[in-house]
Parts: sequence; C-alpha cells; structure tokens
Amino acid sequence: MKIALAGNPNSGKTTLFNAITGKIERVGNWAGVTISKKEGLIKATINHSNSDIIAVDLPGAYSMSPFTSEETITRNFVKNEKPDVILNIVDATNLNRSLFFTTQLLELGIPVVVALNKSDLTKKRKTEIDITLLSETLGCPVVETTSIKSNNKGLDDVIAKAIEIKGQPQTAPFNNQDVNLRDADSVESSDTERFEFVKNLVRKSENRKTKSSVQTNQDTADRILAHKWFGLPIFAVVMWCVFSISQTHLGPILADILVGWIDDLYAFVESLLGDDVSPLLSALLLDGIIGGVGAVIGFLPLIMVLFFLLALLEDSGYMARVAVIMDRFFKKVGLSGKSIIPMVIGTGCAIPGIMATRTIQNERQRRTTAMLTPFMPCGAKLPVIALFAGVFFNDAAWVGTTMYFAGIALIIFGALMVVRITGERHSRSFFILELPEYRFPSIQRAAVSTLSRAKAFIIKAGTIILLCNAAVQIMQTFNWQFQVVAEGAEHTSILAGLASPFAFVLIPLGFGAWQLAAAAITGFIAKENVVGTLAVVYGITNFIDTEELALVSGGADVASVMGLTSVAAFAYLIFNLFTPPCFAAIGAMNAELEDKKWLLGGVAFQFGIGYVAAFTTYQVGSYITTGVLGQGFIYGLIASLILFGILMYLVNKGVKKEEQKLDLCSS
Amino acid sequence: MNQAIFSLMPDKLARLLQVNNKHMSQARGVNNLSEAKLNKEYEIKNVISDNKEMANFLSTLGCFKGESVTVISILSDTYVISIKDARYSIDLDLAKIVILI
Repeated sequence: MKIALAGNPNSGKTTLFNAITGKIERVGNWAGVTISKKEGLIKATINHSNSDIIAVDLPGAYSMSPFTSEETITRNFVKNEKPDVILNIVDATNLNRSLFFTTQLLELGIPVVVALNKSDLTKKRKTEIDITLLSETLGCPVVETTSIKSNNKGLDDVIAKAIEIKGQPQTAPFNNQDVNLRDADSVESSDTERFEFVKNLVRKSENRKTKSSVQTNQDTADRILAHKWFGLPIFAVVMWCVFSISQTHLGPILADILVGWIDDLYAFVESLLGDDVSPLLSALLLDGIIGGVGAVIGFLPLIMVLFFLLALLEDSGYMARVAVIMDRFFKKVGLSGKSIIPMVIGTGCAIPGIMATRTIQNERQRRTTAMLTPFMPCGAKLPVIALFAGVFFNDAAWVGTTMYFAGIALIIFGALMVVRITGERHSRSFFILELPEYRFPSIQRAAVSTLSRAKAFIIKAGTIILLCNAAVQIMQTFNWQFQVVAEGAEHTSILAGLASPFAFVLIPLGFGAWQLAAAAITGFIAKENVVGTLAVVYGITNFIDTEELALVSGGADVASVMGLTSVAAFAYLIFNLFTPPCFAAIGAMNAELEDKKWLLGGVAFQFGIGYVAAFTTYQVGSYITTGVLGQGFIYGLIASLILFGILMYLVNKGVKKEEQKLDLCSS
Repeated sequence: MNQAIFSLMPDKLARLLQVNNKHMSQARGVNNLSEAKLNKEYEIKNVISDNKEMANFLSTLGCFKGESVTVISILSDTYVISIKDARYSIDLDLAKIVILI
C-alpha cells in the first residue's frame, strides 16, 4: 500500500513523514525545504495492519495549477503513480488557504485523509474547529495531528484511517471539471469559485478568537529582526555567536577528547604492529590512514556543534527573515531573497543547496544561484576553516564568520557580473515568501539532524577520504622509478612531481609549496581532503591540540611546519573555500544548469574568483603586516588583470547587447 | 555598523541602497498595495500583471479580486501582508500590481 503526503509548503509534511517512518529527512521551518519526493516504510509501531505501507513525501504545493516545478512534481506524482491513499496535511492555523488544495486533491478520485496538523497551535490560540462538519462537507476523514511531538496519538489515528478507507471511492465536494489548465483566465475564475466554497466552509466550521490580520508580538519581532538597518548586523552577530560556540568554546573542548582517543588508537596500533612490520606498511597505516582520516575526524565535534546550532536557527523560523533582509541586496544584483534558501541549505552541503534552486522560477536567477551557491562554506569546508582558525588564529570565531560573509559578498559580486553578462540588467523579478511563525526550536529535532549529518561525515571519512589519504601516502613515499624516496629528497616523489607545476602558479598567492598545492588538488575530490592531505604530507596527526604536536612532529608546531605566515595561511584558506567545489557538487551544478556554457562559465568564474581573492588577500595583507609585497607580485598581478579583463569584456558585451535590445524596443 | 558601511560608499551606491519611503507620507488616494496604510484592511480590486503566471500564483494564495488584505509592516524594501490567515513578505514591484478599491 502506498500513501502520498501532500499539502501546502511548510505545513509539516516532512516532519510528519519523519515521525511516521522514523527517517531523518531534512526539515526546516520555512517553505520549500523538500524539493524532490522521498519514500519510506511506515514504522511498525504506527502501522497496525499486516502489510507494509510506503509513505511518499512530496514537495509542498499551494495548488494543482502549474506554477513552480515542485508543484509539477506533486501533480505528476499524484496523477501518474496512483497512490492508494492521499494523506493531505493541512496547516490548521490557515484553513482558508490550505483547504483550497484539499478540494483539488479530492477531485482526483483517490481516497483522501486530512491531517489537521499544527493542532497544538490552534489550541493555544483558542481557535475552535468543528471537525465533524469539516469531515462531512469535504467527504473524507479529518484527524487532528501534531507532528512535531513524537508519540502523538493523532499519527496512529491518521494511518488507521488511511488503511480503513483504502480502495473506497472519493467524491469531491466542489467539482469544476471544465477548466482549461492552459488558459490563465479560465484557471483564475475557477480558482475564485473554489475559494468562495472554502471560505463558506471555514466560516461555518472555524471559530477564531483573534483575527489573523491583527498585529502580534511575532510582527514586533519581525520589525526588529528584519529591520532595514539592524537586520544585517543582527544576522552577523547571530552567525558570530554560532561560530564562537562551535569554534572557540564548546567545539574544541569536545574535539580535544575525541583527538585523545584517536591518539590512543594511533599508539595502540603502533604497539600492535611492533618493529617487525615493514616500515612502509606501518607508515601507510599509521600516518596515511589513521593520521589522515583522524585529522579529518578530529574536527567532527566542531562541525556537529555548528550543525546543531544551524538546525536550531532553521527550526526557529529566523531564516525566512534573513531571506527578507537579503532580498534588498540580492535585488540590486538581479537575484531575489529566494536565492538565500539554496545558500543556507548549501551551508550543510552544496549539492542539496544547488538542487534547491529548483524552487526559483526565473531561469537566469535559478542558474545564477546554482552557480554561486558553492561559495557558501559547506560542511566539508568546515574542517579546513577550523584547522586554519585553530593553527593560525587561536580558534578565533571571526575567521569562520568572515568566511560566511565573504561567501555572501562573492555571491553578490558574482550575481552582479552575471546579470550584466547575460544582458538582463533591466529585467524585473518578483519576490514573495511566506513568513512562517517563530517557534521555540526543538532540541530533539536538531540533535537528530546533527547525528544524521555526523554519520554521513564519518562514512565519507571512512571511504573517500581514507582512499585519498592512502593514495597520497603512497604517492609521496615513492618516486617515479617506484623507489622509496630518501629522507630529505621528498621533492622527488610522485606527489611532488604532480603537484609542483600547480605550486608554481600559486607562488603569487603566498603558498607555492607542492605540499599545499597537492592538498588543494585533493580538495576537489572532497574538501575534507585538504586537511587529510596536509596531515599526511607534513606527518601531523593532531591538528587540534598544538601542545601535543610537539611530540608528534618533532618539536615544531603546525604553523612553522607548514612554513606559512598568518596572511599566507588566510589566503590559502580563501583559495580552498572559493575555488570550484568538489566534483560531486560540480556534477550537481551540471544537472541544474542544464547548459554546458553556463557550467563552463561557472567553474571558470569560481577558479578566477578563488585565485584573485587569494592573491589580493596575500599581497595586500603582506604589505600591511610587513611593509613589503609578497613573492611573485608582478606575475600574479598580470594573471589577475587578464582574468579581470576577460570578465569586463564579457560584461561590456552583455551590456551592449541589452542596450541594443532596448533601443530596438523603443524605436 | 551598517550606517558606517553606507557612509563609506559612493553617493550613488548609497542612494541605490536607501529605501524609498516617500509613499508612506501620501496616505490619501490609495491606489495599490504599496500605498496602503498599515493595519488597515483593504479589498483587492484587481491584480494587474503582464505575467499571468504570477497573477495566477497570487490567486492560489488567496490574493485576488474581492479578497481582503492588510499591510502589517514594511521591512527593508519588502511589505509584510496578511492574506487568508498567513503572512507573506512581498517586494515593492509585487505590491504595486495589487490594486485596491
């Protein structure tokens, strides 16, 4: 048996889906978090029938009429896959709008159960809903649910009802078959009649104590948090607090404990191997695998704390307000506040972030957002940030905060360029976003989502990262004749040979060592590799506790082992964060951009930005701190100017094209 | 902090980023949603848009002829409006196409 979950955006479909299936799909207190359908088996504790029930979670839709692609997914699924029962999740606090979609679902001939979700909120507001009347008028069972609370009796009831009505015919209370879906006027007049029907029904069945258009303290909070001038500084402070807790305070304490365990494991395996094992094998196992993977895993606590805090923020409803603040800035560069949704999702992983651009209707905005979303520091980049913040900047929270805002700044700059290159500077776009209610974030839900991300992180570290580190270890052990590289002749290794040409190009950026180039290259496979590779090539197993380092790397601390100044280290961090993302994310870009020219342009742009930003940071920073420019200034300047020249040429071409078009229109 | 950033920008850029609040003082003769008074319920006369899909989308939210709408507040450059028991944030361009009686 198959049950489809359908309903308005942010009505709690995915939360309910997770509650009945025990799965951990991403949820957020705002519209548009789910962008593709997800399936799961309903838990045995809720399913009291003998057969399996598959639940399918669909993206939210306001209606069956085609407007955005996620609504198309819903419509096609319901029409083509013929689920046995439709579970319509209705936001009980907004019957007037939600039941519109319900009446459309009822016309499909598939039995429908209405889950009146968020019923805790209606009770709190003393809104009375006549469920019997609703059920009779709509011609389907109506059950009150609260999906954010586990062990909610309503969830059992809803599934029991679904099993009960399976196979029954469904009659529609309001039927308007002769609508031509392609004709907007015809759709509109039918919609008006449908709303009239819903309005009458709600008037009869709902008793509201307070009118919804009256100002509430939620609106007061909005006026402060999304304020014209205070909104952005408040957001900056919030992000700084998130980083301060995860990078400076709580995170390192937890990381210290974990790293202690990894060190114990290292020592244990070392003693287990004894002296009889070949030194090559023991180096591969100890330095390559335990050292490299351990260096990445060591940052897990920092990342988990960060993810936990971000999950709390998302759950609270604050992120929709951030979208409102950002709309003003994004609009100036041809994007809309909606672009912030993929970017926030991109802070977890760029791939779902890029996929979330599907909810943006305008094609150029959608592509621009998909191309620029990878600039947001994702979860895999966090160990890199944490490493450099820890080693060079004493775990300062400003490093991570700066990287987030630098990401946003580069996105705005990128969009500014793209809108000119495509010659659409004067095209208009609309912004509309539902403002969900603020709520106290659930610790439990944030913990569950953090644990699932941690699991994914560990799996990745145990597979891709492990393989890459082993490969790096082997490549740095042997030279091209497959002889073991002698001590002091590391530059003859295969790894050095491969990375050196790239290192040469990186000299003007302040980090022309082959080890650093090799780490940046392995970063394209997965960004965590930057940390793993650095650990392997410099023979460091412990990045977290610099006191312990003295034991591991022979008296020198990490900063001097790498031979970087703080400025060069910062430039290296910028380079790794703002060059193209990992290959998997580039693959996602390819899928969403649907155009080779855009993909190529996007990746080239990311390379150019990463190079120029790191170059500028290093040279300007060196000049400020030491009074002299860094190495290779002239060569870097020439390269940067060429890149800038190409960009300006494209911008100029685009602007001219648009002017010609405008001239044509006016004449 | 924000103010300081803007004072550093060239005049033109600063002006671009400033919010145009002129319409707030012209309360008489309310034509579209961007001119509406705060906390006052209005009836929608029409939604005019050359973008039929957008008008259609608005209507599925309940924003169409004959419905009531209230502007709750103006944040940054966006209008927080209440339609059918929900709050939405819309931008100036969208507010202008919602014509009121």
